[in-house]
Amino acid sequence: MEFFTVSLLNGTIYGLLLFMVSAGLTLIFGMMGVLNFAHTSFYMVGAYLAYSLQEVVGFWPAIIISPLIVGVLGAVVERYMLRRVHQYGHGHQLLLTFGLSFIIAEVIKLFYGNYPVDYRIPESLRFSAFDVFGANYPFYRLLIGGTSLLMFALIYLLLTKTRVGIVVRSAIYRPRMVEALGHNVPMVFMGVFAVGAALAGLAGAVAGAFYTTNPNMAIELGVLVFVVVVVGGLGSLEGAMVASLLIGLISSFSVGIDYSLADLFGLMGAREWAEGVGGLLTLKLSSLAATIPFLLMLLVLLFRPSGLMGTRE
Amino acid sequence: MNKTKLALALSALGLALAAPAQADPLKIALVETLSGPQASTGLMYRAAVKYQLANLNEAGGWNGEPIQIAEYDNQGGPAGASDKVKAAIAEGARVIIQGSSSAVSGQITEDVRKYNLRNPGKEVLFLNMGGEALELTGDKCHFYHFRFTTNAPIRVKTLVIAMKEAGDLGTKVYSMNQNYSWGNDMDKSIKAFAKQGGYTVVESTLHDVNKIQDFSPYVSKIKASGAETVLTGNWSNDLLLLMKATRAAGLKVRFGTVFLDQVGNLANAGDTAVGHYIAHAFNIQAGDEAAKFGEDYKAKTGHYPTFIEPQTVFGMRMLGEALKQTKPEDGKINITEVARNLEKVKITTPMGEQHMRAEDHQVVLPIVVSKVTKDAKYKVDGTDMGFDIVKRFTGEEAVNPVEATCKMKRPA
Amino acid sequence: MKVSRILIILMLVFLLALPALLSTSLVNAAIQMLIAALFASAFNVLAGQGGMLSFGHSAYFGIGTFATIHAMNALGGEGLLPAPLLPVFGGLAGCALGIVAGWFSTQRSGVYFSMITLALAELLHALAPHLKGIFGGESGVSAMRMPAWGFTFGSSIEVYYLTLAWVVVSLALLYFFTRTPLGRLCLGLRENSNRLPFMGYSVHALRLSVFMISAIFSGIAGGLLALSNEAANYVIFDVNLSAQVVLNAYIGGVGAFFGPALGAAIMTFFGYAVSDLTRTWLLYQGVIFVLVMMFMPAGLFSISSWWATQRGRHAPAVLVRVLATWIVGCVLATCGFVIIVELLAHILAQDYQSLLVPGAAWPAVLLFGIQWQPGALLTWVLPAILLVVGIAVVLLGNRQWSYAQQEQAA
Repeated sequence: MEFFTVSLLNGTIYGLLLFMVSAGLTLIFGMMGVLNFAHTSFYMVGAYLAYSLQEVVGFWPAIIISPLIVGVLGAVVERYMLRRVHQYGHGHQLLLTFGLSFIIAEVIKLFYGNYPVDYRIPESLRFSAFDVFGANYPFYRLLIGGTSLLMFALIYLLLTKTRVGIVVRSAIYRPRMVEALGHNVPMVFMGVFAVGAALAGLAGAVAGAFYTTNPNMAIELGVLVFVVVVVGGLGSLEGAMVASLLIGLISSFSVGIDYSLADLFGLMGAREWAEGVGGLLTLKLSSLAATIPFLLMLLVLLFRPSGLMGTRE
Repeated sequence: MNKTKLALALSALGLALAAPAQADPLKIALVETLSGPQASTGLMYRAAVKYQLANLNEAGGWNGEPIQIAEYDNQGGPAGASDKVKAAIAEGARVIIQGSSSAVSGQITEDVRKYNLRNPGKEVLFLNMGGEALELTGDKCHFYHFRFTTNAPIRVKTLVIAMKEAGDLGTKVYSMNQNYSWGNDMDKSIKAFAKQGGYTVVESTLHDVNKIQDFSPYVSKIKASGAETVLTGNWSNDLLLLMKATRAAGLKVRFGTVFLDQVGNLANAGDTAVGHYIAHAFNIQAGDEAAKFGEDYKAKTGHYPTFIEPQTVFGMRMLGEALKQTKPEDGKINITEVARNLEKVKITTPMGEQHMRAEDHQVVLPIVVSKVTKDAKYKVDGTDMGFDIVKRFTGEEAVNPVEATCKMKRPA
Repeated sequence: MKVSRILIILMLVFLLALPALLSTSLVNAAIQMLIAALFASAFNVLAGQGGMLSFGHSAYFGIGTFATIHAMNALGGEGLLPAPLLPVFGGLAGCALGIVAGWFSTQRSGVYFSMITLALAELLHALAPHLKGIFGGESGVSAMRMPAWGFTFGSSIEVYYLTLAWVVVSLALLYFFTRTPLGRLCLGLRENSNRLPFMGYSVHALRLSVFMISAIFSGIAGGLLALSNEAANYVIFDVNLSAQVVLNAYIGGVGAFFGPALGAAIMTFFGYAVSDLTRTWLLYQGVIFVLVMMFMPAGLFSISSWWATQRGRHAPAVLVRVLATWIVGCVLATCGFVIIVELLAHILAQDYQSLLVPGAAWPAVLLFGIQWQPGALLTWVLPAILLVVGIAVVLLGNRQWSYAQQEQAA
């Protein structure tokens, strides 16, 4: 029971963190068809900027200003780089963002060094929210989760209830028509990219204090975020939320599960044979915790490529 | 493109012709990860090697000439390392130094062994400053490979004995390690020393390396197992995030670690780290000699020696001693002689005496087990904490027995 | 057509004579460049000709390496298959994995195809460390090249010629593939796959065949790596290698047959040479990628096709002048940029920062044989000027070019 509750809590919060980072990516992909490899780099930049700003203006202003700067960076990237390359197709855009992720990582290493920096939660926030079976549950985790839910709510409302949101959503489906109706579609694209980047920056600013802030953050989170976006459905915000929670929960629960395929065979009486074969059959699920998301991505891509909740084919 | 290739070819030809002629200085090659995600460790090996090389050259170098060093970036992996080793040998290097990854060490030791087989008389030496996988002095051992750092059994043995004596080990131990050769070695050793340490291994986990962001599920497992101590060989993020998650959950366990002194760990862990143990090769508080060495190192490189740097410096000192006893033959160096001398060298470092074991070329060096406290004289990482010495071991007390799988073929 | 034939023959002669011209370490680099060129060309069969961008191609390359290494250990150089012919096993393994992976991947197209290939490669990468019997754990599996046909294959030069032979034969086969009906159908797959079923072809079967061919030759390239390095490590399945081959292909230009090979050769050499010279070489690599994608989207090979198409309309002197202006501008801007980055890298490094004494002037930095004073204004102004002037010269070249086009149109 304890394992179940703790894993549920941890998995949910981790999933909400993943959502913060992948929300921007799925919006950008849904809107522009651009698979942005540099998205997790924006996450990293957000964390480092917040670290630098924290010394100057304090924690709360830092996590507000840092995403704004990252948003501006995103707008610049879209306007001067991606727009140029848009006409040549997906491959080029992808590679541009890939090269960009290299550049960002190296520039950060240049200025901040190769080691993790000391970006810490301020003392005022370092308390326990409640007790779970004798262990503390830190308040900051709830803060991360809360920020994520707030973000989800705001974006959802923005997209569905406001005029800007309607323009953005129609630009996803029929950009030419929307342009013909007189809206400035390139500006909309730039805005969406900037907002997506800012969201990633906010995620970095908030999570970087709790997890480590180091130059490899982007790579560490990188492929997992793509998995979330694909599983949830490219372009679907609700899908991203569902997929993030799913993957967060799976990662949390699978750590505690020490069964392997040999156990499955054991149910049928073939345990010794399975253990004799070794290799894949004796691998414990807990050792593979970080690779299950890929299996999930593969299954989704094969049987339902538009993702769990996506509509774009 | 043809023109570019031609220009490069001509310049390379020019460089090749300008090869040294008579009194050959000794050339060393450092083939390390100097860029990319794992560069932070590679750069530390570079700092340590260059520091001691400067001392060796100040003392006269070899054959009256300063020892030359060339740096090669292995671009992060064994394949790149293999290329650069070939390039280094082609450019005249006779000694290859590397340390930051057991995978790369495994590749280099095999490449050197094969090269020596194919080119008798032009042998090359491989000084392994940091690859701690047991097989390098086990079934992959050969005469021209020397390991100057510890390995898993050494670290676990010293940790267990020291923590037990201090009364901080308890009877229930959790083994948390990374799922690759180093972590597997640590896991096996932790289980092997259970009887001597008087504990039971209540649970053992092997997790993915450097992929896990959220260690809280593992912390739940530690709590559920009822362990009093966690013994782990984790490094970098895997150690840091594990400790942070433990602290966040308010779980009171003692950590016995190997790499707690890696740069950035204490600063990021904060007060979580107080009371945890580490088994390492150097503690700057181990006396006047140690303090002198530490201050000198800081003056030349900008930071105190930590993590993998001390054993690298000591290893380079052993090389220096071996070189002193090797006379040039026809103006050239005889690497087999250097290897033979390395087997006989005994040096005294600020931590005590160390020498090389001839059977498997594993260095026998003193180990110190320290504890993180706030009363330490030398503060680390800009925090208010440092490492206080708990117990010191001589080389003989710490070293592991020779692996049965090592069948070293010695030259005649 | 004739000119390109002459160029190809010249290239072959140059490659044959290479070991005599270069030092051994550069011959080693040449071997890696050849392998990368073959891998990129095999990748291009799928991406450039078939229009399917695969993100997990390192899987087929890596499986080829492991298969060849195991063959080297198992067959020991005796019997029917001496060591030089062992990359055949690499090709077979690539084929097998290609059929299995391709069956699933080719059911989807576009971005979904790419994602499936990425997922498959990552799965293999994640599982490989656990399957120690096949993939050998972190130190990998090693073997030794056995002598055959009178050669010992102990020196780099012999390995070079062996690799060259394989690469030339493979590239020739790949080229002739583009001339076969299946190769022609590739273009149809890329341009308009909706039409093909109406012509009686099964799109899935076609895609699978193309995937298989690409995987076979990727496996052969992997096998060549096994012969050259005599070791295989599961690190090879990393997503970096997959990304590298995509980058190489696009930088060279996926439109031309030899484009990816060119891109692979240049980028491999760049990585090899520059990684030893500076710690910030990854930054330069990233900048090169971004600039090529933005300003030369058809890749470096497009220079030659630009020349070919424009030579009919403009005098060669005009073209040479424009090209020279562009090149000079790029060189100047590169110098300025490199100096600034290197200065920053030196100044911000930890060992330099530790030498700083508050109040005193910052010590000089030795770069390219000159001592630069960080406090002096000239140190920063000079490279900045170089950068700005370089960009201005490139823009001047643009203007020259547009004038030339206007004159010609008039």
